[in-house]
Amino acid sequence: MSVLDRFLDLEHAFDSNISLLLVALVGGVLALSLPAIVLVCRGRAADDKLRVELWQRWRSWVFISPCIVVPILAGPGWTVVAVAVLSLLCYAEFARATGLFREKLLSLLVVLSVLALNFAALDNWYGLFVALFPLTVGVLAVGTIVQDSPKGYLQRTALAILGYALFGAGLAHLAFFSNEPGYRPVLLLLFFAVELNDIFAFCVGKTLGRHKLAPHTSPGKTIEGSLGALVLTTGVVVGFGRVVFAGSAMESWPLLVLLGVMVSALGQLGDLTLSSIKRDLGIKDMSATIPGHGGILDRFNSMLLVAPAVFHLLNYVLPGIGQAQAQRLMTGAG
Amino acid sequence: MSAESPNPPSWQYQPSRDLGVPPQDRARSLQRESGLVATLLHQLWWAWVRLYLRLAHRLQISGAENLPRKLPFVIVANHASHLDVLVLAARLPVRLRDHIFPVAAGDVFFERPGVSLFASLCLNALPIWRKRNCSHALADLRQRLLSEPAGFVLFPEGKRSRDGTMDRFKPGLGMLVAGADVPVIPCHIAGAFEAAPPGARIPRWRKIKLHVGQPLHFAQTSNDRPGWDQVAQTTQQAVQSLAEAP
Repeated sequence: MSVLDRFLDLEHAFDSNISLLLVALVGGVLALSLPAIVLVCRGRAADDKLRVELWQRWRSWVFISPCIVVPILAGPGWTVVAVAVLSLLCYAEFARATGLFREKLLSLLVVLSVLALNFAALDNWYGLFVALFPLTVGVLAVGTIVQDSPKGYLQRTALAILGYALFGAGLAHLAFFSNEPGYRPVLLLLFFAVELNDIFAFCVGKTLGRHKLAPHTSPGKTIEGSLGALVLTTGVVVGFGRVVFAGSAMESWPLLVLLGVMVSALGQLGDLTLSSIKRDLGIKDMSATIPGHGGILDRFNSMLLVAPAVFHLLNYVLPGIGQAQAQRLMTGAG
Repeated sequence: MSAESPNPPSWQYQPSRDLGVPPQDRARSLQRESGLVATLLHQLWWAWVRLYLRLAHRLQISGAENLPRKLPFVIVANHASHLDVLVLAARLPVRLRDHIFPVAAGDVFFERPGVSLFASLCLNALPIWRKRNCSHALADLRQRLLSEPAGFVLFPEGKRSRDGTMDRFKPGLGMLVAGADVPVIPCHIAGAFEAAPPGARIPRWRKIKLHVGQPLHFAQTSNDRPGWDQVAQTTQQAVQSLAEAP
């Protein structure tokens, strides 16, 4: 197995029926929502603002969905590349919103560290992958000392480490998943469940919501919506999980419920994390990159905490992600 | 940390000026700020320009001691060639590069997406549209010049001379600096017209000379129509006398 094989793995794209099912589901939902939106827009209840927003959101989803699905199906190499790009885009947004982007040296160090993490994932070098977090924190802490300007040291260093931890180290776990041959349905399920989780919370909150969850952080969220999403998302994860993890240690009900609760709760907490950042900065959206959604981070915030937590749950329950495969494809020590 | 501390540490966030500008509009935004990619490209581009000017045009600079070393500043010259902006901006301090903006014609540099990306990512240019009412844009530019602070590279004639002779300076320059503590550095460029006049596709190997004059100050000039005209005239005379100097 060479690293090139990790980019030429298309024949396994639909090895799992779950991959096919999830892709068909996403495609079906997008296709079916088209006439639904047309109906809503024709209706009298819709004002122009709602119409524009619905269309923008639909178009954005038509664009985003393939950006997530295609690299995952195309192969492990492409998954790693896509995760690296996503990490860098998220960090760039965070840096622009906080002003950290003016610290060019620090930003360069974060970018190099993100690339190193994803290199470790591509290489299937778990030792380096794990070692990079503490080492990078050290590098970021001492990196700007050469500039000899202690003013603002704490702010820039802390922001850089937070950005690296959330968008670099957190998301890179998605990349490392790809070292396991059966990673496709797992990643697709994660994205599917996390996005569905947002939609569940929104819908349940709109219909049953009475009590605000965290009015100062995110005024739109309700306790009812949050709990509803917790139940519904867990149901979805357990249902699909029974098939995805059939025949493995993850198959047991309690573990699948734990997985579902983690996906839902951490997804919502990731959302609230970004809300807190935006509130503190006094901005509404992280950027205007995706029409109808705001920034890349506004769309992917829910994945930030889910990725590392789910990775380590599976890594603990199953016999080590990627451990049964060829190790260190490029650095090849043996 | 007690409340009486004379200098309590505090975190201050300054989101980028162009936060909320959609990506397709960012290149032409007057609020654009350079990210890591733009910074690297600026440094590469201007390093290449310095080398090119030295090899192809044997660029000679007199009065280099008058070149600005800190922000803000406005550096101006006569305009007869696309090479002028390269000549004028190439030798400005490398560490200030992200804050130095050539002010360029919007209709030439910011209409087509490819050219617009080049203008923003390599030149770090900001657009000004000549045919529209540009007083609002000039107010934005002035605000940025003073608050960032920034350095502007601009040509007060407003267009390239078609025969190499200098045209009248427009009062827009005055609207940027009148009444503000911003030095204006007058320069004269000789040889750029011969090397690449308007319409030339490929520059010829001609020698180019840059004459940098002493900075002018307009902090006491009134920020109104007569003041703007005065700034334009004074600067034009300064450039004219550099042209006539040996």
